[in-house]
Amino acid sequence: MGLVRVALAGEGGQGVQSVAEIMAEAAYDEGLQAIYIPNFGLEQRGGVSIAFLQVSDRRIGAPKFNKADVVVALSQRAMIRTHTYSGPDTIFVYDSSFEVGEGDLPSQYKMALDMPAVEKSRELNTRVFNVIIMGAILELTNMIPVQAARSALERKLGYKFEKNPELREMNFKAIEIGQALVQNKLKGGEKVCASSM
Amino acid sequence: MEKPVTGTRKVFMTGNETVAWAALAAEADIMFGYPITPQNEIMHYWTRLGAKYDRGFLQTEDEISAGFTVCGAIIAGKKAFTATAGPGNTLMQEPFSMAEAMRLPIVAIIQQRGGPSSGTVIYSQQEVTLTTYGGNGEGHRIVYSTASHQELYDYTIKAFNTAWKYRFPTFVLGDGYQAKMREPLEMYDPEARNLEIIKPSPMVGLPGQIGIDREPQHLCNIYSLEEELYDVVLKVQAEYDGIIPELVEYECRECDDAEILVVSHGVVSRSTDDAVMALRSQGIKVGAFRPITLRPFPSQKLREILRSGVKKMLVVESAYGQLVRLLKQEIYGETVPIETLLMPGVGIIDADIISKVKSLIQ
Repeated sequence: MGLVRVALAGEGGQGVQSVAEIMAEAAYDEGLQAIYIPNFGLEQRGGVSIAFLQVSDRRIGAPKFNKADVVVALSQRAMIRTHTYSGPDTIFVYDSSFEVGEGDLPSQYKMALDMPAVEKSRELNTRVFNVIIMGAILELTNMIPVQAARSALERKLGYKFEKNPELREMNFKAIEIGQALVQNKLKGGEKVCASSM
Repeated sequence: MEKPVTGTRKVFMTGNETVAWAALAAEADIMFGYPITPQNEIMHYWTRLGAKYDRGFLQTEDEISAGFTVCGAIIAGKKAFTATAGPGNTLMQEPFSMAEAMRLPIVAIIQQRGGPSSGTVIYSQQEVTLTTYGGNGEGHRIVYSTASHQELYDYTIKAFNTAWKYRFPTFVLGDGYQAKMREPLEMYDPEARNLEIIKPSPMVGLPGQIGIDREPQHLCNIYSLEEELYDVVLKVQAEYDGIIPELVEYECRECDDAEILVVSHGVVSRSTDDAVMALRSQGIKVGAFRPITLRPFPSQKLREILRSGVKKMLVVESAYGQLVRLLKQEIYGETVPIETLLMPGVGIIDADIISKVKSLIQ
């Protein structure tokens, strides 16, 4: 694989930074190079929070990038905020529940992909919404094996899983739901394995 | 007591956490600080880790007192340090100047954020002028500009040694990206690598009777006569000039036959390295020069490279000309034209540098 760049944006509290960190740790565990950098505004809470994640089998130079391979916007205003990271080769992912009007999608993208992640998370548990998104990103990029993400989740939340094993099942299920959302959408078609640079 | 780092350990962590571990490994005794993004987690990790290894911490009422408490602790013989950013760095120039005047081995980690004023809490390289020449003095300081977590670890340890060996204020100049991002590095016990950790010693309360057993300690930051100050500043300048050859550090990549030389420092040099590799693969004769010490500046080496056939120099920085100014004063008299790519407060990627270099050869 080459370099995979992901920008993941949502409202503060949606768990954007947590899952970016879990994917970065999982990539590191897999012996890959990984850089994860949170973008943080001045707000103590609220505001759009963006996580920039890069995974590669080679040394990674700049910690930030201009255009992502995958942009995921988890709120209506996060869509606007992330336009700048979407280029002609970017898959731009957002939730089907958003009312997408004129100017809400970026001017450049390879594919705009809406997924009913919010709806699916309501069926399972809204607390694992971010883990569903992680499953979708894993499916879109193939940057790390799902097992590596599970192990990283286990390490991060293992103490909670010990107390309540149902949580473990719920989180692992959430990854699968996220993967399925992408599979249904793409129906075996396109994937972003790596960019050239 | 058990050592904080034994042997060698591969880890994946933030730059701020890396600095806290490095300060432990360098046997720092105490940190004084005041919260400011993006360096906060240096304090957070230090308070968490320091408590386990019997190290001290005090949060002061502001950055001015954080700097002065470091000065005081050092005079008392403690290996003390601080960390700050942006407006905090501005405020700390007062104690940093005192450290220059009194030759106090203060160590400060600077995680640059956007400016002027509160600017952004995120990233920039706009604290170069402030960190190298801030304060009402001559810039008798040592400044290491790091580019990776490995270097944050290495140079934080080195900064303590340099400070206590040469008795000049020593800075590790990072930035908000380095502070907040996670990447892999190897932590190690300095002793396991035969790296001697220089021990601190007090500057007051020394044994023996003054005038009989020893000369008085003269820790002075104010003088009655202009001529007294003049003599002191010249003496310090001469000492500083004398140690420059031992201190300067730099990196060259593909410099030997380079016609275009890209000069950058810190985290931007990572993008420069990638740009140089990409441009070389297209047959473009480009090289990279990276000063690791911004003060003292590796001017002699840069002059040598410029005289070996460089036709154009491109200075790239996340500031509007702070490295350019530093570099111009250091290579005065060289005739290689200077081009610039100046992007204050934002990250610079390899593609930015590649397109700029290509625009120069058309």
